[in-house]
Order: sequence, then structure tokens, then C-alpha cells
Amino acid sequence: MTHSSGFSVARTAHIALVAGLGAMLLGCASQMVQPTATPSTVQSLRTANLTSARAGTFALAPGKDGGLDKSVSMRASSLEPRTGSFSQDLRDRIVAELKASGLYDDASSAVIDAQLTESSVDTGISQGNARLAARFSVTRDGKRVFEKELVVESVWESSFIGAVAIPAAKRGYEGLYPALANKLFADPDFRAALAR
Amino acid sequence: MKFNNYAAGRWVARLGGLLVTMSLVGCGVVPKPFVDPHLRDVDASQFKKPDPIHPVQLLFDFKTKGVENPKATDVLKARVADQVAKSGLFGAISEAPVQGGALLTITVDHVAVDGSDGMGKAFASGLTFGLVGTAVTDGYIADGNYVAPGASTPIVKEVRHAIHTMIGNHEPPPGAVASPSLEEAATTMLHQVVSHLLNDISHDPAFR
Repeated sequence: MTHSSGFSVARTAHIALVAGLGAMLLGCASQMVQPTATPSTVQSLRTANLTSARAGTFALAPGKDGGLDKSVSMRASSLEPRTGSFSQDLRDRIVAELKASGLYDDASSAVIDAQLTESSVDTGISQGNARLAARFSVTRDGKRVFEKELVVESVWESSFIGAVAIPAAKRGYEGLYPALANKLFADPDFRAALAR
Repeated sequence: MKFNNYAAGRWVARLGGLLVTMSLVGCGVVPKPFVDPHLRDVDASQFKKPDPIHPVQLLFDFKTKGVENPKATDVLKARVADQVAKSGLFGAISEAPVQGGALLTITVDHVAVDGSDGMGKAFASGLTFGLVGTAVTDGYIADGNYVAPGASTPIVKEVRHAIHTMIGNHEPPPGAVASPSLEEAATTMLHQVVSHLLNDISHDPAFR
């Protein structure tokens, strides 16, 4: 996934760059937004002929630093999870996509679990990048039928100017959540594991 | 459908803060936004209303250069939902699946048009107190995708729009419509592209 940011003051003033900019210049933290389903993912899931599933345990992978799940720093600013942990934000994202696709069932015997393995942002000077990774597993009727670590990465043009670099980094990082969900749902092995 | 109307107000407040911020970062010249003249609102009375109308699942997505932009999506989705609700084309609107399976998705992708280093040019405008002007054009590609109840093939429509921002002493494109603020320019642009998508979808022979 490639993500390049606009560099103009005019673009800075546009919708995509608006959120939180004033706060960022003051060095404040901001939060992830509540996830809403992504049209392309829902369109794909609706025709995938999958069985309904539910989200199980989403947590930080064993052995990882606890801070990985709590915050990502972007120069003088930071981005924090909406739910208290990035792994739970990822869970909410997965649930939102499945619910909008009519594929979420709290009583399902098909359970999706995940362990957050990577979460990072580098605002850079000329180029920024972010990575998000999780080890997903699917259990059906008590039997593990899928396990795979999936990674998504975002790269964008950055700037030495914080007013440009920080919003771009936040967009770049936050956009990884729908991207990771989409990557999971598009994975052929995942689809085989949840096939009707 | 629980859309956050409060977010729109916060957006306006943040935009005001942004303009102040921009002066602090050295631009020194307030950008003047102009909405491209080639696309105007289509009034809902021109839409071809189906009989009967059906409930629809509505999903909206804002992207920046092809990449999901959850923050902007969160801020703008209530406006789009409100406009779709007032179109008269659908019954109940929901983010969740609806009876009959109708699905309307609207995606707006913010793309660079001029491909130039606008920040560098803007700083030049600021350093010369606006004597050297800069024009920057931002493009918006809006896609509408509608799956009618019981249908498998979607109706797909696309419209394109632009906002031109003048920084310093620079003339806008002919016919471009001045907006009092960047926020209003973005609001106008969004309303216009959604009205065209709804109009085009409603006049498609497969629409029901």
C-alpha cells in the first residue's frame, strides 16, 4: 500500500488534513476514530459466500512491549487507541466490516482471534511510513482452521514541517486498520477457512 | 443510523483553528478557495423516484490518494447520509444490511491534480506577502455503486470535481465560484458530487 500526502497549504486546509491539526501543534495526543465499514470490503464480503463469524480475543502478542498497544508517537504528537488498546481498535474494525456485510453473529462457532505484532509510525522528513501487523487465527467448532500473520504498510511523502507531517502520519497510520481488515478478508486461506 | 452531527460542528471549529495555524507556520496569506464551475448541484426534484421505494444500506468512504482516510470519513458521513435521506430515492437508510439487500456505497477520493510542490509555492507566496501568487487544484473523484434489492450487478457511476485555492495574488480559473471559506468550498463540492451520483443512479434503467 502506498500513501503519498498532499504538500500544499491549500491541501493542508482541506478536509483530509483538518482533523486535529491545531491540537497536534500543541503537542497533544489524539485518538483513533470509531471504525465504520469500508465499501470495497463490504462489497467483496457480500459475494464471498462465507459463514458468519464472531470476533474473539484480540490482544498484544506475547513478548511484545506493552507500549506497542497503547500509543504511537509522531514527533511532538501522538495517536492513541479509541478503546484503550490498538488490538481492541483492530477488533472493532473487524466487527464493523463483518456486521455491515451481514456476516457477524455473536453466537457463531467460527471465531476470529488476533495478536497484534507490529504497530509503528515514522513521520520522517521527506518520506514517512507506518506498519501494522497481526497474527490472525480462525477456530471453527473448536478446531483451528486458519493462522497467519498479515502485515500492511503505508508510505507517504512527508515534510520537515510538523503541520504537514503529523496529519499525514496520522492518516497513514489510521488507514492501516481498514487495509489490514481488507487484507484478512481477501486472504484465500481465510476465505477457505470460513467457506460455507 | 447513528451519524455524528456534532462532528460537523467540530470540523468547522477545527478549520477556524487551522487558518490561524497556517498564519503561524509562516504562510501569512489566507488561501482563497474557489469551487470548480463545471459541476453544479442537481436538485432532488430532478431525480427519477422509484415506486415503491426500498430501504437501503449506505456506506460512505473518504480516501486521500486512494488510501482510506477514517478521520475524514467520520467527519463527513453524516452530511452524505442526510443528503441521501432527503433525496426521496430510498426508504429507511442504515449502515447495517437492510431487508432486500439494497446497498449504496459512495466513495470520494481526494487526489492531487497539479502534481506540484504546493507547499514550496505557498511559502514563496507567504514570503512575498502574496505578491507572488500560487494556485493549487485539488481533485475529487466520487464513485457511486448501487446494488438494487435482489440484484447482483451494481449500477456504477463516477463524477469528478475540483477545488481551486488561490494563495496570494493569483487569478482563479474563469467561472470558478468563490467560497467564503475552505470549509464551505468542501461542503459545496461534496454536496454537488453526491447530487450528481444520485441523479445518475436514479436515471439508470436498472435502478429500482
